[in-house]
Amino acid sequence: MKSLRPHYLSVSIISYNMGFVVLGAALLMIIPLATSLALHEWNPVLDFTLSLSVTSIIGIILIVFGRQARLKKLRAEWKHGFVVASLSWIVLMLLCSIPYVLSGNAKSILDGCFDVMSGFTTTGLVMTQDLDHLATGLNMWRHLLTFVGGQGIVVLALSFLMKNTGGAYKMYVGEAKDIGLVPSVRGTARIIWKISLIYLAVGTAALWICGMYIGLSPLPAFFHGLFMFESAWSTGGFAPYTQNIMYYHSFAYEILTIIFFVIGSLNFGLHYAVWQRKKKEMIKNIEVQSFFITSFLACAFAVYRLSQLGIYRDAVSSFRRVVYNIISAHTTTGLGSVYARQFAIEWGGFGILILIVAMLIGGSACSTAGGFKGLRVGIVFKGIIAEIKRILNPERSVRVSKFHHIKEYVLDDSIVKSSALIIICYMFLFAVCTALGVYYGYPFADSAFEAASVTGNVGLSIGVTSISMPSLMKVQYILTMYLGRLEFISVFALLGYIVEGVKKLCAHLSKRS
Amino acid sequence: MRTLIKAFLTACIVSFFFTVTANAADTVKINDLINKMTYYNGRLVTVEGEAVGETLERGEYAWVNINDGSNAIGIWLTSGDAERISYFGDYKHIGDTVRITGVFSENCSEHGGDVDIHCDRMDIVCKGYVKNEVIPRTKIIAALILFGSASTVTVVYFTHRRFQSKLDARNYISK
Repeated sequence: MKSLRPHYLSVSIISYNMGFVVLGAALLMIIPLATSLALHEWNPVLDFTLSLSVTSIIGIILIVFGRQARLKKLRAEWKHGFVVASLSWIVLMLLCSIPYVLSGNAKSILDGCFDVMSGFTTTGLVMTQDLDHLATGLNMWRHLLTFVGGQGIVVLALSFLMKNTGGAYKMYVGEAKDIGLVPSVRGTARIIWKISLIYLAVGTAALWICGMYIGLSPLPAFFHGLFMFESAWSTGGFAPYTQNIMYYHSFAYEILTIIFFVIGSLNFGLHYAVWQRKKKEMIKNIEVQSFFITSFLACAFAVYRLSQLGIYRDAVSSFRRVVYNIISAHTTTGLGSVYARQFAIEWGGFGILILIVAMLIGGSACSTAGGFKGLRVGIVFKGIIAEIKRILNPERSVRVSKFHHIKEYVLDDSIVKSSALIIICYMFLFAVCTALGVYYGYPFADSAFEAASVTGNVGLSIGVTSISMPSLMKVQYILTMYLGRLEFISVFALLGYIVEGVKKLCAHLSKRS
Repeated sequence: MRTLIKAFLTACIVSFFFTVTANAADTVKINDLINKMTYYNGRLVTVEGEAVGETLERGEYAWVNINDGSNAIGIWLTSGDAERISYFGDYKHIGDTVRITGVFSENCSEHGGDVDIHCDRMDIVCKGYVKNEVIPRTKIIAALILFGSASTVTVVYFTHRRFQSKLDARNYISK
């Protein structure tokens, strides 16, 4: 048993930390439960009571199973951090889908899991049925998941539920949030949450007032404001009704959401820098530069092409139908101001191509956005420029290229290489996803569009995602959303850890026999 | 003779009703409108669906969103017509089923490129109602049992943990 001892302690560390993450999710369920209770939605009250109970019991079991980690004060290593982050997302996907399945709005566990993963990863593709008759409590849950997913559920649970956050930084990085605003992880997580909650209050109030102005009654206007803010800020893409943002028929509502999802797609480090009155960061930051250049180009090309096709001729409709969707795609939000099939029918090949590129690039690193991130695009682009300069200049001259991201960095080969590697991983995932769609008989352009949306955690749909799509495609989309969100490394670490564990177990068993 | 006239009149009335029913077949599914939007653009169409959400008043006019099961679309109609709708579909209600005849736009110039129908005529086909929420007894029992178990497990674990922490602290001081 000796050879398995260190492995057992590792399992304890993972189990103990995951237990707190699961407990965190159970505590979150109190919010939709209270909402349903207040609005007398009795079935959802019971659904959330059941889900909360099951989740807390599993959380406590995991903590008790991993109690050695607390008793022996074991610190998490990098591999533990990555495994806790990646495994927690899978466990939470299953547990958080219970209310969906119990409500009957998800027709199967797979559909429920799809919606939860779509929420957690801030993708926004919908598998839930009959949205127009959904309970407010369940809508609260959907939007809460996307809001929390955007900031990082593992970070939230570990920073607020655990006294001893030793090793938490590794889990924080594992959830693809590798920015240190202050020296401690708890401090950084609290700043992230402080920024988000202040925006939540301001954004909900703005959308609430706007909602009442456009004809919603005060109470529904509040819930719409809260849900749409959560969705926009987290670059999620969920909305309470089938028509998404088109339900409101309001330019003002669209303007407000566009502001919130652009702000939400920016790096938390940038928010913090601006809050500390370092306003120049907004201009100097490589991610901001990259985002504004690519957005401007994408919008200009799309507006020009669609006006040429005679689809949107006036400025207002071009802004509301083209610019809105391009920015929504680029920030990986997925709120759509046109019907899914309009992309296929009206936008044409060039329009779809622009959207695919925008969706794949995505927003900023360490933000709520997905995609392979503007930072990496900027770094690779600068790397190419530096390489060209190096070739053109005399061999003796040494040029040091730099880029600005919160502070000045020297652009060395390792940074360019790691950025390019992640981009290649994303492109591979996108290719696999497209191929599966084509295999199942969807047109190539449709498959590529949906694959880009899933890979970049966007949520815009061209009509491929539906309850009738093959189960294998649903599973693959879930995996793609998950891989895209965690940016591969954590999931690779989890796979490596499982393989290592199996190997050790096999070796141990063969020794005994 | 009188019987013959009566039979003839009855036949006429019945055939009239059949004619009306035949007109209902002219309704277009919202998804068909979207899939063939260039064809339907600017044409008079009839759709039938459940009013959902609520009326969005805009002065003398209003927006009402309807869903026919295939998709949903915004209807631009007078406030007077909108007020005739008694129920809107949500968790607690089944909304009125309305039949809308109006002009379909794939890119409405009046509404910033919206895909919408400007209503000429609205008929309420079926009145909505308040849904009767059925709560299964097994669900109530399961919820109570699980909630009780979860509360007990949580309280026992955290009490034990606090007790153990105090004990550890005492042992540490005595050392």
